[in-house]
Amino acid sequence: MVIIRTTKLHKDYESNGIVVRAIRGIDMTVEQGEFSAIAGPSGSGKTTLLNIIGGLDSPTAGSVFVGGEDLRNLSARELSLMRLRSIGFIFQAYNLIPVLSAMENVEYILLLQGMGKGERRERSAKVLESVGLKNEMYRLPKELSGGQQQRVAVARAIVSEPHIVLADEPTANLDQKTGAALLDMMHRLNKDLGITFLFSTHDPMVMERSERLIHLVDGMVAADEKKKAAAKKTSGKKEAVQKAVKGKNRR
Amino acid sequence: MKMLFLLSWRNLWRNKRRSVVVISSIAIGIFAMMLSMGVMNGFNIQMVENTISTSLGHVAVHARGFQDNMKLEYRFTPGPEIYRAIKERKDIRAYTPRLKVQGMIQSSETSRGVLIVGIDPAQEKTVSKMYEYTSRENGSAFLESPDSGGILISRAMADTLNVLAGDKVVLMIQDSKNNIIGTGFLVTGIFQTPVASLDKYIVFVGLKKLQAVTAVGEGISEINIITDDKDRVESVARFLAAANGDPSLEILTWKEMAPNLVSAIKLFDSMMVIFFMIIFITVIFSVANTLIMAIMERFHEIGVMKCIGTSPWRIFVLIIFEAVNLGAVGLMAGVSAGAGLIWLLSINGIDFSFYMESMRIWGSGSVIYPRIRLYDISMAAMVVFTTTLTAALYPAVKAARIKPLDALHYV
Repeated sequence: MVIIRTTKLHKDYESNGIVVRAIRGIDMTVEQGEFSAIAGPSGSGKTTLLNIIGGLDSPTAGSVFVGGEDLRNLSARELSLMRLRSIGFIFQAYNLIPVLSAMENVEYILLLQGMGKGERRERSAKVLESVGLKNEMYRLPKELSGGQQQRVAVARAIVSEPHIVLADEPTANLDQKTGAALLDMMHRLNKDLGITFLFSTHDPMVMERSERLIHLVDGMVAADEKKKAAAKKTSGKKEAVQKAVKGKNRR
Repeated sequence: MKMLFLLSWRNLWRNKRRSVVVISSIAIGIFAMMLSMGVMNGFNIQMVENTISTSLGHVAVHARGFQDNMKLEYRFTPGPEIYRAIKERKDIRAYTPRLKVQGMIQSSETSRGVLIVGIDPAQEKTVSKMYEYTSRENGSAFLESPDSGGILISRAMADTLNVLAGDKVVLMIQDSKNNIIGTGFLVTGIFQTPVASLDKYIVFVGLKKLQAVTAVGEGISEINIITDDKDRVESVARFLAAANGDPSLEILTWKEMAPNLVSAIKLFDSMMVIFFMIIFITVIFSVANTLIMAIMERFHEIGVMKCIGTSPWRIFVLIIFEAVNLGAVGLMAGVSAGAGLIWLLSINGIDFSFYMESMRIWGSGSVIYPRIRLYDISMAAMVVFTTTLTAALYPAVKAARIKPLDALHYV
């Protein structure tokens, strides 16, 4: 089942009077439960594509459908709700809220969703435990290593059980061992929860471990390599994802 | 909201030095506001109380026209109805009749124009503080009876006339038949009130003696009334006006008798408002500046918060909370320091004797006892919160409008 679809997607930027064509007519689909990576050299449009899919940026032309919903039809508030309820973000620089503990950072998302304190605490603790941070829950980001901070970021991204996690170069600031452990963890979450992971990366390790690799060159898909059939591994509970995403975004 | 509040509280202390500077500026503003308010309250209250306790009283019954022209012809002989009405009101603490005549006081050296007030010494003690203001030194004492031949004069007057207690002075008075009468009085007491203007032109003699000298029989110029509570004045005046069957009499409150005093208080209050506005305009800019700096520093972070689904409204509330926290901490510090100092100063007062003459002109006395009311603290709180919220509005809107993508690219 298709969870992300782009049609004739274009994105132009104007910089110092020069038009930069960051995305040039990308047509692609991502199935529910995929563990995919968008690879390519710097300036190839990876992050721009990810931002457009996440509703952070709007295309110059073309459409993006997330869970069957055309993002062009969503208001700023609806896009914000979609990001809150259906998409988890992982950033290269972790981007945790520095004054909140690991637990509070994770809890923050559930709080925005209006979840009660007890359930919020329980679920956040469980997710942090699943990413191996049982003993670091009450530490502030500055008291955690880079790898641990990125694990908190992953926990924050998945705690609300989103349909999609968009990860922008998640291993770029980590050493290889920590990066590999993080990827293992995300792969496990993909398998266990059926969450769709879409990375932008130029880390060979991420490219190697992802089940599908979309190569971008100059804003165009140069190659689309499917290593495994990710869609088949999705859990049963995600079958009505499209319907759910639509419902979530409108609430 | 709880998490946003927690977040705003922790954000406040991310840059401790900057927050402390802003909190201090708010606290100093509040402190200065409370101190000046306290001194001004004390000044106003003392000015009013002193004027009331020396001459005005709370309410007075006069013959119509007397207030504008204090001549002997505007006298009246009170009937039983007015005394019955006065006794009926339980909130009237005391009253006394007075006869007021303009005249001249003369010593062997010089003479001065004065207002001669005939009093019943026993009743006067219950209404005014003239008994307390009369010196007990060097043979000075209060009048003993309404028909005594003594006179009370102020220290200033005694110096002008160059007389002491025990000396004789002559009062030149026009009696009810328009004859100029000269009568000798023995200076029995020297007084000094906190109201310099009063000391310069007023003298007290026995009521019956003055009635006899002026040949007015039982005639008086006023019945001066003191109520239990200054807030009861209007009600008492209305009651007496309704109970009074004599249309030639009028009932006046202290505010009606001393409109200049009321205007002076209003003027001081207006000056205070301008002073506070200056203080809080400064606070507005320092709070706004701090919040804008805090937002610029956290531009990226706010962008991330928006990326992960924080709505613009929540970002707006977060910044407002930060301003409220700044204001609340500053307010608490300022109120504690201000109220503490005012409490300390209210014990012994602030001695403005180096400034005394100008203070006494206003009738406040030279030692001011600062006073602060709950109302003033509430006003300070309201002003701080209004100010900080106003100051936070622009930064909060700016933060709420941050575009997540722009913020993500911002380092």
